Amino acid sequence: MSDSKSRVHFRVMKYIHESGMKLHLHSIPIATASTIYHKFFRENDLNTYDPFLIGATSLSLACKIEEENVRLRDIINVCYRTLHKNKAPLEIGDQFWALRESIASCELFLLRALQFTVVFDHPHKYLCHYLKALSDWFEPQQWERYPIANTAWAFLQDSYHSDLCLDFQSKHIAISVLYLALLCHGLEVPFHKYARKKWWQVFSKDVTLETIQTITTKIMDMYSAENQLPR
Amino acid sequence: MPKSEESSYPFCPDEGKYEKLAKIGQGTFGEVFKARDKKTKTVVAMKKVLMENEKEGFPITALREIKILQVLKNDNIVNLLEICRIKATPYNRYKSTVYLVFEFCEHDLAGLLSNPQVKFSLAEIKKVMQQLLNGLYYIHSNKILHRDMKAANILITKAGKLKLADFGLARAFSDKLNRYTNRVVTLWYRPPELLLGERNYGPAIDLWGAGCIMAEMWTRSPIMQGNTEQHQLTLISQLCGSIVPETWPGVEKLELFSKIELPKGQKRKVKERLHGYVKDQYALDLLDKLLSLDPSKRVNSDDALNHDFFWVDPLPQDLNHMLSRYNKSMFEYLAPPRRRAPINQPPQAPGVVRPAGHNPDQHFERIF
Repeated sequence: MSDSKSRVHFRVMKYIHESGMKLHLHSIPIATASTIYHKFFRENDLNTYDPFLIGATSLSLACKIEEENVRLRDIINVCYRTLHKNKAPLEIGDQFWALRESIASCELFLLRALQFTVVFDHPHKYLCHYLKALSDWFEPQQWERYPIANTAWAFLQDSYHSDLCLDFQSKHIAISVLYLALLCHGLEVPFHKYARKKWWQVFSKDVTLETIQTITTKIMDMYSAENQLPR
Repeated sequence: MPKSEESSYPFCPDEGKYEKLAKIGQGTFGEVFKARDKKTKTVVAMKKVLMENEKEGFPITALREIKILQVLKNDNIVNLLEICRIKATPYNRYKSTVYLVFEFCEHDLAGLLSNPQVKFSLAEIKKVMQQLLNGLYYIHSNKILHRDMKAANILITKAGKLKLADFGLARAFSDKLNRYTNRVVTLWYRPPELLLGERNYGPAIDLWGAGCIMAEMWTRSPIMQGNTEQHQLTLISQLCGSIVPETWPGVEKLELFSKIELPKGQKRKVKERLHGYVKDQYALDLLDKLLSLDPSKRVNSDDALNHDFFWVDPLPQDLNHMLSRYNKSMFEYLAPPRRRAPINQPPQAPGVVRPAGHNPDQHFERIF
């Protein structure tokens, strides 16, 4: 993917996440919206479609898929406000109705592009299980001193700014963000050096250190890409 | 806007791939057709997704049905093959239509029951109920409520396999406190807790429907054909006894309990009333447990499957032999209306005449 293209996608992802936060969405609908968006642009050309319309529609579709009760009206207002920070809030009028119609008909279009596959296997649930299992390995005081769960969760949410969710297994992504979180806090799983089996092999038989490092590198690259964005 | 019509990307297939053979039903949110794949000649059922309220985009009920069917893969659940659509053209005022394409099943239970020539032996009824409860067990363990149990939504293939169909009202449920809409389930199969306004309901609502369907295997027509919600509750009380806190603790807290008129002093007569049709003691006992007023006391699908009814002679017997005698599809939609009187039709109040062809479906309301 060219640099300019990935910059556009990064901006749209920020817009999806920011709008999602303002709408008080949970992590899963935001992850679903991001996955839909990435899937769509994996197959379709950025010059043909307005990425912000696709982004807003991904959000509205994700809310329906994940049973998050949000009105289309609110999605439009919040997305508009996120995109046009310096303009006055959207009034009910021709522009509002035009936006609403675009999103409503774009939903079916996106569904067709997804070939109606609306079930997503996100890394979140695996991460929860892994965190629970790992927490039992650590000394309670040591585990409580570091916000491992929060850090790993934040890495996971941020990872959607890139399209790595399309290229790697959910289990592997969950292991990688956990690996990165432990690394950041300078923690080592007890007896890691002496164990014949590494902790990640316990969680997933087919994960290799190489895969983990590829994923973590991608996540780190994404953060440096953010620093290069014009402010 | 995206130029959706010229896209080359492999979007979902076009409806032109199939030729329609006949209309076979009216689902909760659209018509159902029998159709044939022009190339492979496979016969399928196509269900049209109504896009009435385009203001909110793609209907969430249809999305739920699609999502649920993608997750549920079981022998006793209808199999979704693919989704296709009709292109938007000037002829349909630029409105695109979507079809869900299912594996074709030859009969539905309502159609079979309305044909007096089709006779089920006790062993065959056991097989029907066993497959039905097995389907319910599977969807409930996947945390899904069907919310539209009725004989017309129970499909049966000519090989005798039963499939739960029409997940148009289905949704996921959780064990925490919920506020779902209670305007679900066709009136005649609607359990008392929904009629009394309960919004935090669970799998037990589908088991009430299973009880109604089970009784129907013998009575051949729906056992409680109410005209209104009030009337339905009256019929339920006449069969299952008065709805009072003594038999159903907590019922007084339901929203409509004090607002609706409930017959007093009725005794529970499930076994007595059905005895004229159902001779088998085990069947009567299971029916009694399925038609329990209090949803917390209603038998669940797991316990129902372990009931002696299924484990004493005659054991459940496959339907393929019995069904092989019929080479014509039987669907409720195509059958003449079932006219046999329901078992506890009360003397009708003057002026309250059930309109011919009355469709209890009209009590539905879109969830969004």
